[in-house]
Amino acid sequence: MNIPLTYRALAFISLLGLASCTKKFENFNSSNQGLTSSQFSIGAIYPGIQTAIFGEENAYQLDQNLNADCYSGYMMSPDPFRGNLNNLTYSLVDGWNVQIYSDAYTLVMSDVDYINKAGTATSAPDFWAVALILKVEVMDRVTDKYGPIAYSKVGLSVLSTPYDSQDSVYQQFFSELDTATTNLQTFIATNPGKKPFANYDLIYGGDYTEWLKFANSLRLRLAMHLTKIAPQTAQAQAEKAMAAAGGLLSVPTDDAAISGGGYHNPLFVITTSWTDISMGADVGSIMGGYNDPRLPMYCSPATDSRITGQYVGIRIGSEITAKPGYTGFSTLNPVTCVATGQPMLLMTAAEVWFLKAEAALRGYAGAGTVQTDYETGITTSMQQWGVSSATYLTDASSKPTDYVDPANAANNSPAVETITIKWDGAATNEQQLERIITQKWIAMFPEGQEAWTEFRRTGYPKLFTVVNNNSNGTIDTQTQIRRLAYPQNEYTTNAAAVNAAVTLLGGADNGGTRVWWDVNGPNF
Amino acid sequence: MRKILTGLLLLLLVCSAYAQESTHRITGTIKDGGTNTALPAATIQIKGKPRTAVLSDAEGHFAMTLPNQAVVLEISSVGYLTKEFSVDASAVTFDLTLFPDTKQLSNVVVTALGIRKSEKSVTYSTQQVSGAELTRVRTDNLMDALDGKVAGVTISPSASGVGGSAKVILRGSRSAAGGNQPLYVIDGIPMSNASNSNMQPNSTYGGGTNVDGGDGISNLNPDDIESLTVLKGASASALYGSQAANGVIVITTKKGRTGHTQIVYSSSASMDKISYKPQFQNEYGQTAAGATTSWGSKLSTPAANNLSDFFQTGNNFTNSISLSGGSDVAQTYFSYANTSARGVEPGNKLARNNFNFRETGHLLNNRLTVDANINYITQEINNTPGLGLYFNPLTGLYLFPRGLDISPYKTNYAIPDSATPGVPTQNWPFNEDVQQNPWWIVNKNPNDGKRNRVLINASLKYDFNSWLNIQVRGNVDRTADTYEQDLYAGTIGVLSQPNGQFFLTTQTLTQKYGDVLVNFNSPTFSGFKVDGVLGTSITDANTVGITNGPDVNGNYTSPGLFIPNVFLTQNLVTSPTSKAGSNAVTLPNNHNQIQSIFGNVNLSYKDWAYLTLTGRNDWSSNLAFTPNDSYFYPSAGLSVILSQLVKLPAAIDYLKVRGTYAQVGNTVPQYVTNPLTNLGTAGVNLNTTAPFPTLKPEKTKSTELGADFRFLNNRLTFNFTWYKSNTINQFIQVAPSFTTTYAKGYVNAGNIQNSGIEFMLGYDVLRNARFTWNTAVNGSTNKNKVIDVDSKDGINQFVITGNANNSYESILNKGGSYGDIYGVTVQKDAQGRIMMGSSGGPLTNSGFNYIGNPNPKFQLGWNNSFTYRNFSLSFLVDGKFGGQVLSMTQAMLDQYGVSKVSGQARDAGGVKINGVGQNGTAITTADPQTWYTAIGGRAGISGEYVYSASVVRLREAALGYTFPFKPGVIKNLRLSVTGRNLIYFYKKAPYDPELTMSTGNGLSGVDVFNQPATRNFGVNLNVTF
Repeated sequence: MNIPLTYRALAFISLLGLASCTKKFENFNSSNQGLTSSQFSIGAIYPGIQTAIFGEENAYQLDQNLNADCYSGYMMSPDPFRGNLNNLTYSLVDGWNVQIYSDAYTLVMSDVDYINKAGTATSAPDFWAVALILKVEVMDRVTDKYGPIAYSKVGLSVLSTPYDSQDSVYQQFFSELDTATTNLQTFIATNPGKKPFANYDLIYGGDYTEWLKFANSLRLRLAMHLTKIAPQTAQAQAEKAMAAAGGLLSVPTDDAAISGGGYHNPLFVITTSWTDISMGADVGSIMGGYNDPRLPMYCSPATDSRITGQYVGIRIGSEITAKPGYTGFSTLNPVTCVATGQPMLLMTAAEVWFLKAEAALRGYAGAGTVQTDYETGITTSMQQWGVSSATYLTDASSKPTDYVDPANAANNSPAVETITIKWDGAATNEQQLERIITQKWIAMFPEGQEAWTEFRRTGYPKLFTVVNNNSNGTIDTQTQIRRLAYPQNEYTTNAAAVNAAVTLLGGADNGGTRVWWDVNGPNF
Repeated sequence: MRKILTGLLLLLLVCSAYAQESTHRITGTIKDGGTNTALPAATIQIKGKPRTAVLSDAEGHFAMTLPNQAVVLEISSVGYLTKEFSVDASAVTFDLTLFPDTKQLSNVVVTALGIRKSEKSVTYSTQQVSGAELTRVRTDNLMDALDGKVAGVTISPSASGVGGSAKVILRGSRSAAGGNQPLYVIDGIPMSNASNSNMQPNSTYGGGTNVDGGDGISNLNPDDIESLTVLKGASASALYGSQAANGVIVITTKKGRTGHTQIVYSSSASMDKISYKPQFQNEYGQTAAGATTSWGSKLSTPAANNLSDFFQTGNNFTNSISLSGGSDVAQTYFSYANTSARGVEPGNKLARNNFNFRETGHLLNNRLTVDANINYITQEINNTPGLGLYFNPLTGLYLFPRGLDISPYKTNYAIPDSATPGVPTQNWPFNEDVQQNPWWIVNKNPNDGKRNRVLINASLKYDFNSWLNIQVRGNVDRTADTYEQDLYAGTIGVLSQPNGQFFLTTQTLTQKYGDVLVNFNSPTFSGFKVDGVLGTSITDANTVGITNGPDVNGNYTSPGLFIPNVFLTQNLVTSPTSKAGSNAVTLPNNHNQIQSIFGNVNLSYKDWAYLTLTGRNDWSSNLAFTPNDSYFYPSAGLSVILSQLVKLPAAIDYLKVRGTYAQVGNTVPQYVTNPLTNLGTAGVNLNTTAPFPTLKPEKTKSTELGADFRFLNNRLTFNFTWYKSNTINQFIQVAPSFTTTYAKGYVNAGNIQNSGIEFMLGYDVLRNARFTWNTAVNGSTNKNKVIDVDSKDGINQFVITGNANNSYESILNKGGSYGDIYGVTVQKDAQGRIMMGSSGGPLTNSGFNYIGNPNPKFQLGWNNSFTYRNFSLSFLVDGKFGGQVLSMTQAMLDQYGVSKVSGQARDAGGVKINGVGQNGTAITTADPQTWYTAIGGRAGISGEYVYSASVVRLREAALGYTFPFKPGVIKNLRLSVTGRNLIYFYKKAPYDPELTMSTGNGLSGVDVFNQPATRNFGVNLNVTF
């Protein structure tokens, strides 16, 4: 620095005083709202990861509610967002769909990275196991939406992160679940009944035996995703899961769900205060047609004077009129299904029974018998929601009903799903699968992400197509949407990597291209 | 630092202990013989003894000590003919008049650190505005009174009603992420211009529950201001360092006078009306029962004007009184002002009280000057209107379907709700996030901002001799704010909670400043003189506060109140599972400290060449954790009085040419160099900001060249300045790929250039005993260019305001300029025809495209003042030319079918367009509903809603009469009628493009249901006792 002599003289005097003053600068410039890493334990990071899986209402609405929850047929918005040019008419909104990317990487992958760099894998293998399970749970949601994602190289560079093929991502999932289950088994064996994670756990209150069941069940779910693209891996991983020590989720008390710690069910606010989400037309058609006793638990009857008391949802892609146009149609039930304190379901025991049913149908070892698994799935689900029915399992005649929109006949449609409830061992494999997946779809409500994945993989249940398709020809109305497009931000900040990912994807980066496991071919 | 201060004070006391002989004191006043006004900064000394010299103060007063014998005093001042005056041993007081040296320039300029300099020696452009000019036509925010009067200054008042902020930009915006407003300096000491904890909005939805909190400068009582000087360039402000990169506004306040006891009472009353209204159609009704739009059939009777049911006449009553007086030793100034105003929207009110006490003392034979000042300000602003789409009564008011009767919603804005007995709910037929019942917002979403502010200044100055003095100054500026907003149960769900929501923030901002200045001033050695200042200063700002209502993630909508409509912190719900408790969040301290040493040396030769050098080194706490927290920047300036150096044509009385080069550093915001982990609702939220350990301060380099002319015996003045500044090392926030696990990061990059010219032309057209006419024109251009954003990292854009799913963005784009508006545009074919889609609306280009820039290319102000006997008349016409603005209001009025053009299109059987169908056939008419539904709305084709920002107006006018009084109790009584914003001579936009939604960097040039500009008429009374 070139300072004139006179200043240097003054600086000399002043520095006597200043030298001791600037020492405090680091203190001044450290936020009083902030914590240094010595002020919190590794465990305190986990509630943040768990709440970020679905996020608060602002995040959840964009993460999942305005894509998968509606693409699965579960829900539809009564809000004409962007003049009906939005995700729900296949005009994909980049500003919405970037949210899951932001949340998954900056709130989950970054945290797992921090936990990893803190040496948790060796210092607390049990905590590391939970981190890996959460990581797989979250990133599966991301890869199933997009296809190839950045995974193995995340956090290594602040400039560019290469993407992995979806095949590779799934292999890493299985391998990470191997580590997680081994660590948990070891911990449970050597420290029976100990719950060091209890203070940080919004899912199982620190019970590692439940975490182990969840990890095994997650492996089974991931395995079944691959039945069409990699049948051998699917069978091997599914059999491994079904034979694993610790077992699977089997009764509703095993259900993986997030609650507590100040977190509340985001669907409550979106449904009530915001009136931004309602029941989808398919739910009314299928569950209404089946006289399903779970329907009143899931949804509230319509208040619109034309259909008061009935369960009438909104068909996806409808020309929504300004509120309150469609707000009087059936909504999610804010007292039961999406009550503010209702845990957010990640995976249920009922789903696991249906996964086993499909595994049995495919002849995998250790899956039990198809009919038992199927029927146990239904009864477990009813148990979960506190309802029962003496006749449901034997109902061989009820079928989904036609959809009639009292506000706009252009949305009307005959029922597209025609399968009945009662198990029929003589039916074709395809029909048996249709029955299993349709009941699984009912049981997984309102978790739209997995329902959309399974719809894309199996084609079941058959769902109403969008009324208005504003995709400019990129998404076929009949085939329905297959994925979300990568966020534009990736093209400006990580261009080489995302362009390579599109090559891996094997098609254009739009909603019409199928992801890796989504094979356009028969289920059997 | 404290050690140095103590040391210097000790030194000062030791030095003062000598010098006592047989002497007496005299006092007096020096006046300008031409204008008969006080002459500050004149030098009075015993002839031949420069060490005895004293200076006259701002009111021309001086006091000095003389030996008990006859002496000859020499009185001199820059630009005046030097006078000698004999005084005998018994003289105690005398007044004296100096006459201008017509070959010289007379003005004195207040420069950095409060130092007064002759205009001749100043190497950069400044412009001074007297206190009288600021109060001639009163404005709610005193900065608005500068509009059109100073070249190179762009003032944009916030559209947020009484008590709102003003955006003041000197020579263009330059910092992408930092502040762009100037530093305010009162009597040499920097002042905090902080608002309350509410930030300025940066979204077309508005600030939500955080409305404009008013800025710090608007708290001051304009009647206390003696003069205001605008130092525009970086060179002018180099001595204030980091805070002054955007220029400085130096305010000199009034103080008591020796021997003059004076009481001044002034009172003003004014009323405001909105100066334009959106244009509505009155023929077509609601589309269908229950619809929010007005695309229905013809009405049997024309729709009513709903606006008159809502807007009221605003007013402003300001009363102030000041008392001043004093002896040789001590002078006192006291003032009190009360402001009571209401806005044009119901419920919007302002109440302010200003107390000011100033004491100046001359001790130790006039060697020691003590000056202390305390200001106490209380202010309350109620119901500041929300701007944007949320919490704005104007959305519901404007969009309400035509033909329906809005009056029931005014009288019964709240109705019983059968579901919640005893808790009324909102009466409004629509459930849409962008609208509520306007009267519900006014009555049931009230906001209240209170401010208590204390400003204490103290200064000690000791003259060792005629050429050396030391000055120690300190200041505390403590502002305590509370802000409350109550959202009653029944407020729309997207913005509140079923039982209501409540926000309460308390915040105290304390800014402390201290400096030590050593001023020196050498005698002349063979034509050369040196003077200057060396100093050190410390500025420390710190905030303490708590906010109640939002959760730790800043989520304002969740979870709300436990018992409906009980607005107490203990009634806030922390989480749905624990139905009691409170949501209280400690606010960031934003502790910021800058320590500096600086110096300024002025070298002059024979009163015609002046060289100024400054240097400053800052240490900023905001750059802690980097190796760059100490940074130095220099400036150099030269001025030459050509008229004294060479023989010029006789018409030119005076010609000065000047040039400067300067650098100014600017620190970065708090907490970015060491991002920390924060608490979440259950555990911790790990930091998601990429660390940047080598962050550097921003740097502005500027060059300025200019010339000052005087012609026709100084009656015609002209000055001209060219400037260019480049701001580099900008602090730019970037969004890295999320796959890096970081949500944001920072880079040092960018180069934003501002260049332009400014001129001022003044002419005393007439000057005789009965009639005077003075006219002045000022003009300026500014060209802003973004030379680079961050091309080294492949980043060429910096988003200032994101689109948030609406069709407005403000983007800094490489090659563009600051404030560029991006929006959605129609596709056109090679012939310029709009390409139409199959559904009857136009096709759009992909993404967001440049549609305009709101900054004026050229500004012009024309000021005239006339006096005839006791009458005076003045008026100001100003124009801003060039630039474009976007009206999202108009886009939504069109989409909803309530606008006048939508009605006219229906009357005409369609919208006339120059379009082409997909089969190539020309399309000349479009169905109005299809067309406006496609192009209108907040997410529509905003490129169709761009308007010229040019506006020419009669800014202000005042007609006054001074009542003649014989000497008595009342010395002077003046009455005037005033008007402001009286006539738009030219305005093409559907709103006043000068108004801004935000006084921050974002939301430039967009109108989203802004409160309309107002027209103001007033009466002023001014009595001097």
